[in-house]
Amino acid sequence: MSPFRGMLQRIWEYDRLANISEIARRYFAMNAFDGVLTIIGVLMGNLTAGVDNPKIVLSTGLATSIAMGVSGLWGAYLTETAERKRDLVELSSQTLTDLNDTRIGRASRVAAVAVALIDGLSPFLAALIVLTPFFATGLFPTLTWVYYTSLGIALLILFALGLFLGHISRGNLIIYGVKTVVAGIVSIIISLLLGE
Amino acid sequence: MGKTRRLVLDTLKPHEPSIIEMADQLSELYGIYAVNISIYEMDRKVENAKITIEGEDISYPIVLEIINEMGGAVHSIDEVVCGKQIIDDSATLQD
Repeated sequence: MSPFRGMLQRIWEYDRLANISEIARRYFAMNAFDGVLTIIGVLMGNLTAGVDNPKIVLSTGLATSIAMGVSGLWGAYLTETAERKRDLVELSSQTLTDLNDTRIGRASRVAAVAVALIDGLSPFLAALIVLTPFFATGLFPTLTWVYYTSLGIALLILFALGLFLGHISRGNLIIYGVKTVVAGIVSIIISLLLGE
Repeated sequence: MGKTRRLVLDTLKPHEPSIIEMADQLSELYGIYAVNISIYEMDRKVENAKITIEGEDISYPIVLEIINEMGGAVHSIDEVVCGKQIIDDSATLQD
């Protein structure tokens, strides 16, 4: 068996032992959703405050994205490690053996790292994608267009997340997509009213 | 030294990895012909399994290593057969 195939088999085994896919899917959807809505908040705050310097929007947006990423990564790693260690200790007490150096122990550690990475990267990347128009403001006639394009991208990402959730739950994809987009629209409307 | 031909182990293991994987791993060891694992008791998190291994030269330390690595624990060695062939225990008047 090639080393690559061996590695894939090990990952698949760890996934089965520690249920990584299910938890990762949940954290990905939840945190990407959080990331997009947070950045909508940053954009709307800048828009209603009349910020016309794209560098300010970019720096606040990037700082927020990085903070979300670090928060997700750190928080998820500490939480998952604590929970899985607790489960391992409980199982060890039932089997009367130390399970740290077994497949279950290794799967638990890999799961904590994998989930932390997804928890950190999903809001960071989602927010970064929303901010991409601000990296190329020269392509747009005015800064207002850049704002609107970013908000449009945010709503599209929310719709895509809804489709993803609909696919997982085997429900109506469009309905799920609309549900997630409505959250973004509500956030935009409330921010506009507050700005007024 | 005599060769171990049959081992019967009483083990306690978590539900995962499953007995299919454990049997598969054990059966791939050198000197083992066949592995039989049966569950005789099940709990919320663990299960008791009887592992029967037959072969021409079973290495108990390696078998133990694999069972431990999969999270299992050998509670007792219930039967062992060593020598040139497999024989069953003989009936006595006390049985």
